[in-house]
This record gives sequence, C-alpha cells and structure tokens, in this order.
Amino acid sequence: MARARGTDGSLLASLPWTLLALGFAILPHVPYLPVWITGALLACAIWRYSIEVRRKPVPPTLLRASLALTCFLGVLYTYSTISGVGPGSALLAIMAALKLLETRQRRDQFVLLFIAIFLVMSSLLREQHLWSLPYLVLGVVLIMAAWLKTAADDAEPLRRSLGTSSRLVMYAAPLALAMWIFFPRIATPFWAVPIDTGTAVSGLSDTISPGDISALSKSDAVAFRVKFEDTVPDPKDRYWRGLVLHRFDGRTWSGISEPRISSGALKNTETAGRPVHYEVTLEPTRQHWVFALDIPYHWDLESTFLGPQHQLARVHPIDQRIAYKAASYTDYRIDRELHPFRRNWYLEFPESRNPRTTELARSLRRAAGTDEAYIRSVLRRFHDEEYFYTLEPPALGSDPVDRFLFDTRRGFCEHYASAFAVMMRAAGVPARIVLGYQGGELNTMGNYMIVRQSDAHAWTEVWLPESGWVRIDPTAAVAPERIDAGRTGAMFDGAAAAWGLAAPSRLLHNLVLAWDAANAKWNAWILGYGPENQERFMSWLGMEDPDWRQMLLTLVALVTGITMLISLALMLRYRPPSRDRAAVLYERFVRKSGLKPATGETPRLFAQRVERDSALSADSVHSITDTYLDVRYGPPDPALLTSLESQIAAL
Amino acid sequence: MSSTRWPSPSRLLPGINAAASRRLRLWARRRQGKDGPVTRLQPRRIYILPTGVGLVFAMMTFAMLLGSMNYNNNLSFVLTFILIGVGFVAMHQCQRNLVGLEVSFAGTEPVFAGQSAQFRIAVANRSKNPRHRIRLYLDDVQSDIKDLEPGESRIFVLPVRTERRGRITLERFGIRTLFPFELFRSWAWLHMYPQGIVYPHPADHAPPPPATQTALGHRQHDARGEEDFAGLRKFHTGDSPRNVAWKAYARNDQLLSKQFAGADMSSQWFDFDTVVADDLEQRLSILTRWIIDADRTREDYGLRVPGQSFPPAHGEAHRRQCLEALALFGLEDADG
Repeated sequence: MARARGTDGSLLASLPWTLLALGFAILPHVPYLPVWITGALLACAIWRYSIEVRRKPVPPTLLRASLALTCFLGVLYTYSTISGVGPGSALLAIMAALKLLETRQRRDQFVLLFIAIFLVMSSLLREQHLWSLPYLVLGVVLIMAAWLKTAADDAEPLRRSLGTSSRLVMYAAPLALAMWIFFPRIATPFWAVPIDTGTAVSGLSDTISPGDISALSKSDAVAFRVKFEDTVPDPKDRYWRGLVLHRFDGRTWSGISEPRISSGALKNTETAGRPVHYEVTLEPTRQHWVFALDIPYHWDLESTFLGPQHQLARVHPIDQRIAYKAASYTDYRIDRELHPFRRNWYLEFPESRNPRTTELARSLRRAAGTDEAYIRSVLRRFHDEEYFYTLEPPALGSDPVDRFLFDTRRGFCEHYASAFAVMMRAAGVPARIVLGYQGGELNTMGNYMIVRQSDAHAWTEVWLPESGWVRIDPTAAVAPERIDAGRTGAMFDGAAAAWGLAAPSRLLHNLVLAWDAANAKWNAWILGYGPENQERFMSWLGMEDPDWRQMLLTLVALVTGITMLISLALMLRYRPPSRDRAAVLYERFVRKSGLKPATGETPRLFAQRVERDSALSADSVHSITDTYLDVRYGPPDPALLTSLESQIAAL
Repeated sequence: MSSTRWPSPSRLLPGINAAASRRLRLWARRRQGKDGPVTRLQPRRIYILPTGVGLVFAMMTFAMLLGSMNYNNNLSFVLTFILIGVGFVAMHQCQRNLVGLEVSFAGTEPVFAGQSAQFRIAVANRSKNPRHRIRLYLDDVQSDIKDLEPGESRIFVLPVRTERRGRITLERFGIRTLFPFELFRSWAWLHMYPQGIVYPHPADHAPPPPATQTALGHRQHDARGEEDFAGLRKFHTGDSPRNVAWKAYARNDQLLSKQFAGADMSSQWFDFDTVVADDLEQRLSILTRWIIDADRTREDYGLRVPGQSFPPAHGEAHRRQCLEALALFGLEDADG
C-alpha cells in the first residue's frame, strides 16, 4: 500500500491554489473549530507543500492511518458526537488535512476541492450573514479556478484560470437565480436534524436566581425585529411577554419546564381598546417561547398555543429564524377568576427563608389596609429609599431577598421583580414573575423596531380580585428611565465615548441602524424565502396558488431559455473574426473578372492574367490592384478604401 | 494523463461499453459520411457525455440540494444552484471548445513496418477565442494536449502502430476535449481516410548483397561515381547537396549539380529475382535492408522488381522511390 509514494513536483503549479481554495473555505469555521484542528490543517498544508517542493515521498500509510485515527478520536473527544454542523465541519477539516498528505495525483486534488465545497456549504448552515453571499460566490470562483489549474496539464497562468472561472460563474448566475426563485420550497424537513450549530444562542434563561453572580446580558445581538402595521405603542407599553415563573424556592424562580399546550387561555381574557397589529421576525432561540406584545389574541404561526399563564409557545423549539404576524391588546383583563388550586401556586414561598422580608411585608400590609395600597407602599419604598439600578450587582448570600432589600440595595430588574413578588406573596397577594423583553428601538431607516438581548427584562404580575392579573414593574419605580427610554440609546453613547468619539456617536449609531435595516431586509427576503414568501412572490408574478409541478415546469422552461441564451453568448464568443473589408472588396473584383486566382498567384500576377484574358480595361484592373495592395498592406487609410469600393463598383 | 480512475460507466461495464461505443461510432460514420480534406467541425457532429468526475460532481450537487431542502437554508440553495449552473455552462463550454475547429491532414512520414506511423493532423482555430486542451485520439492512442490561440493552427501527431507493409489508412480518428472542469468529455469522429506508406520491415539478418558490378555492362548515363568532374547539369530533386555547385549558384542563382565521370564507378543492382528467401515478404525485407545499408554508405544502387526497375542512383528521392515500390509490391495495381 505504501508503494509509489514519490512526488515529482508536478503538482507545484496547482497545489498552492488548491490550498488557497481550501483555506478560504475553512476561514469562517476557524472561530468555531478547536485550535488544534485549524493547526493540524495548516501544518499538513505546509508539510505537503514542502514535500512537493523537495520532491520527497508522501508520508507512509501507517503514519497516515494513525494520524487519521488520532484526529477522529480527537474530534469525538472534543464534541462527544460526530453529528451536527460543528463536529461535521471539524471532520471535513480533518479529512482535508489527511487527504492532503496522500495527495499525489490530480484526482486527489479534485477530492480536496470537493471537500472545500462541502466546507463552504457547512459554513452556510452555521450562519447566514449579509456577507455570506459574496463569500460563497468568491469561494466558488476560487475553487473553480483551482479546479481549472488542476485540470490543466501545463502551468496555465492564474489570471486566465480566475478569468475563466469567474466568467463561467457569471454565466451560471442567471441560471442559479431562476432555480433559486422557482425551486419549490417545502415547509417541513424530510428528517428532523438538530441544527446544532455550536453557537451559543443568547436568549432568556428558563429560571432566574437573583443573588447568584450574574451580569445582565449586555449583548446588543438582535432578539427579534417588529414591524407595526399602524400604531407603534409607547415605550412604556412595550412589554414583550415571554415566559412566566411561579415557583420560588427561596433563591431561584422557575416556571413550567415544557409549555403546557392549551387553547383555553383566551376564554379568560377580556380586552378593550384597539388591538395592535404587527409582524415579528424572531431570531432562533432553541426555546419554545414565542414573543408577543402583552396579551396576543391572534397569531399566524402553526402549532403555537397560548398557555394558561398567557405565554405563547410553539410545540417544537425555534431553531431557525421565523416570522409571524400577531395582534395584541395592551388593555386587557386576564383571569378574573382564579381557581383556589392555582391561587396556591402563586402564594407559595419557603417561610423559613428571607425572614426579614416576610416580616417587613406583613407589617407593611397591615399598615396599608388594602392590597392596592400595599402595592403602592412597596413601590414607594423602592422609589424613595436608597435603591440603585445597576447591571453588576454584588453577589447575595443564603437569604438573597433579605440581603438585597436590607443590605446591598443594588440590582437590576430580576432583583426588584423577585423581591417584589416575594413581598407580595408574604402578604398574601398572588404574584408571579414574567420574563420577556421591554422596550425596543425604532429604526427609522427600515421603519421597524429592533429588540435586542440587552432589552431582556423581568417584571411581576399580581392578582387582584376583580382586576385579575395586573402588571407591576418594580424596576420602573427604581429606574424609570430604564423603562421610558430603554437601554439601547444610552449604550451607543457609552461605546462611542470609550472610543473617544463623543460627537459622531449619532452618526455611528445611524450607521449601525442602517446596517441592521439592510440585515432585516436580507433576512426577510433572502433567508426567509420559504413557502409563504415564495407563494407571495409567485402571486405577484401572476401565478395564483401554484403547485410544485407548475413551479418546476416554469423552472425547467426558464433554465432551458437561459441555457439557450448562454449557448448564444458562447457562440458569439467563438465566432470567426470579421473579415478584412479590403479582402471582401477584392473578392468582389475577382468575381467580376470571371477568373480564379491560382494558388500562390500574387494579385499582380493575377492582374496581368485578367488584363490578358478578360474584357476588363487594363487601366482599371491595375489601378484596382494597386489600391487594394495599398489598403491591405499600407497604413490604414479610409479614403483609399472608399476609392477601392467605388472603382470596383464602376467596373 | 487525462484519465482519472473515477467510477465512470466505461470502467464499470467495459464489455457493454466497447460494444455500445462501436455501434455509436458506426452510426456516426453513416450519419456523417466521408469527410473532405479540410473539415470544419459542425455542432451536430460533436458528442458529449459526462466523465467520472462529472458524475461525482452531479451526485455531490444532488446531495447538496437534498441538504439545502432539509435545512431550508436559502444560502446553501444559492451555492447548490450556482454549482448546478456551472455544470450546465461547463457542458456548453466543453462542446463550444470544439465547434468550428478546422481539421486537415498534414501528411505522414513513411515508416518501416513495426514502427509507429506518425499521422500529422493540423487543427486550426479560426475564431476569436482561444481553444483549450484539445487532443486527438484513436482508440487508446492519444496525441499531446494543446491549446490553440485565436487564428492559430497546430499539428497534432497520432502515432499509429504498424504491422504490415503497404499503405496504411487512418479510417477514423477523434478529437476531444475535457475543458473546462473535466466534468464533461466532448468529442467528434472524423473520417478523412488519411494515408501513409509503411515500408517492409528491414530484415534483421540479411545475406550480404550481391557483389558490386563494375560499370562495364550496365553503364548508365546517370550512374556516376564521384571521381572526375565531368561538368554541370541542372539540379534534380534527390541530388546530394554535396554535389551542388554552390559557387555557380552564388553567381547566377541557378542550382546546378556537379557531374562526375569515375573510372571506379560502382553500381549495385538489387534484383528481386536473385534474392534467396523463403517467401515474398522475406525477400522484400532483405531488399529493404540492402537499400538502407547502401543508402547509409552513400553508394549508388538500382532496384529491379518484377514490372519495375529503378536504375542505380542515390539520394533521398531515389531511396524513397525504391522503398515505396517494395512497400506496395503486389498490393496495388501497376503504378501504385
């Protein structure tokens, strides 16, 4: 097996370009791959190239096999699985590295280029940015250029390979566009594949534990984008409801682990005022929660239900960007009747923990007289006393609520929501915590609202007889500006100041908004071109409700048409060069003379023969011959050409 | 060089493939008819099939399409469709790379039986675009791969093995290209029937030629040695350049050959009838050997075969005449 391992330098012309194409294909994977894999690929590339330069044999089979086994076990150890995009691309990279070590022929290089194509594809499965399209086009051009270099026997200049490859990709572009538009999209996958992209998707956690060392997400990653159909709610009304937490063990709040599917929640809802209509484009969270403004009553997302706690959830987790239309009421009453069993859910708390809070709550409740007054007095306490809103609060001990309320007095929304809910429960008022997002920034460039991870928020709901669940946001009592303005605006000022750009921060911010607007369009039209968008586009084209047969037929017709055009373009490219005008005129003269020049007969000799054997006048024959020779072999002169034409016409 | 060991239909089913390709060839021959001396390749006679690499490429794009559909990933749809598009374009480009080429026969050099006849075929690119990686072939014989710039014409050499003397005819040959990506192979068959001469195989162990006869009996006017200068005469093709009177040429622009009248003129006659051998071919082989040896020593020699006689002389033209007579002896009508 290890026979004939020698190299003869014959791959020197094409190998660097194959390596370049591979490198380009691996580039977007580098941040996600373990360093040792990137290192191994780089090392193998350098190793193989130096082997070729020094015309040494490639490493023996045994060495390669043991390297392969080691790398495979390494991948298995790193990822503990081999399925999914992360381990998949790691394996591809390893395959490329090992294939390099046994590459001795052109067909091995083709295999490397096939791997490069799969690497590009797997990077697209991982992330689809605005720049992914130019990246993939450039990748194809590079890979195909390396392909041409590999296929060519002699050292073809790179410029020519790149030119040919980009020309062919350019010809292929209209074909690809037609196929992309008309290829029927299907809604459900053939087989369920976990899209384990290896990226941390930042979303809301299912539980909160104010007091553990935790910093609030400062990530400005987009959580979702919202387009309002008519009215945009005021900042203080922008509560995007996610999940509800009702269990408290003295430290951690948690909710139901799997969303309970029931459609009965709407029955317990009374609404007033005008609904808000909007469309949400939700980034993947890999969770079940579907975000909506306050209490939604309509949404066009399938297998999505409103749970008993009025949280919207989809049966299968959201592992791809989805868009849905929804309508919500911001003026509502929910659950005016609370079943005693449920009521107990919202009153439970461990009596043994946080004793100081319990005591304070009970004394305040006694002083207040009514539940409403009690709520007001707690909020007033947050507002009037020394409580601070901070994103980096100190860690709290074993009785976190006590520590927070009486000692540290520093925290963010989770701390205030948790403390408030505990105080309510201690005083016998049913309370729960809602996690979601609050706020959102209007992007005037694209006329939509961006809600970021940094807008994540926790607030409380208390149940009052007659009113049902009422939203109380204790953070608003402490830091009203957090609710009114949101944090996004302030964030950019800070960033700009840190960069020493106090003045142009607006400009910077606008640039960021413009970029986000472009991304939103990209997401909506290119990445989100699924069955619904395709149907919409087809009906815009005039094909009402087309089935997949019709679309495939259109696709085939279009591809055939475009292919014919390409064939025509190629035909033009390969046409013979246009003939010399003088030669065409001279041919006309020859035809008029009635004679045929013999092979090798010069025009002058021919003229002598014409003079002798034809009826044409000797003067004009010689004059025409002289003019022709001048035009053909002298410096370009349009006047002479005209003269030749008229002389021949006059014959 | 171009053959890659990928699973191609021809490798999976060699027997069926050989039979099919022969039928296809015959069909093409009937369809195309005999080609003229200069043949321009029209699109309708250019055939195209995917190569092994092309099939793997097709399978890969199909897998990518399934993957894109499964993940509903629009960018990987874009990638897949670009690659499919590139495949389509490559197919047309591959065929266009041959269309319009002008193929003509550019002669062969005679060879001895057992050597390869070098069929020289000129291919001209009369278009505005370069043609890439063109190759001529006949069954498993292949020419070099060449590029043709616009307006360029290049000679491709097909070495064809010969076994017997006589005229050798190239009944067909093909021209093909794998450009651009080796995904497709497009080719055309040509039936121009170019011919070449195959001399008899020179006998390895030939008896010595008959003794030299002095010039007494067979004195011929042009059977001359190189002893005494006898005058000048007009140059004939085949005269040795050594005998050209270069000084005279410089003076009056006329090529003249020096004539010698030698006392020791030796002229040999190689006579078919006097050769002792088992059969005809052996005889011809021995005669061939004698001619080659005589030519090498620059002696004059004459050849007599039944029906033809070449008086003693030397030079390239004479050698060719004699060997051709031997090559065609008994195979064609009188003059060949």
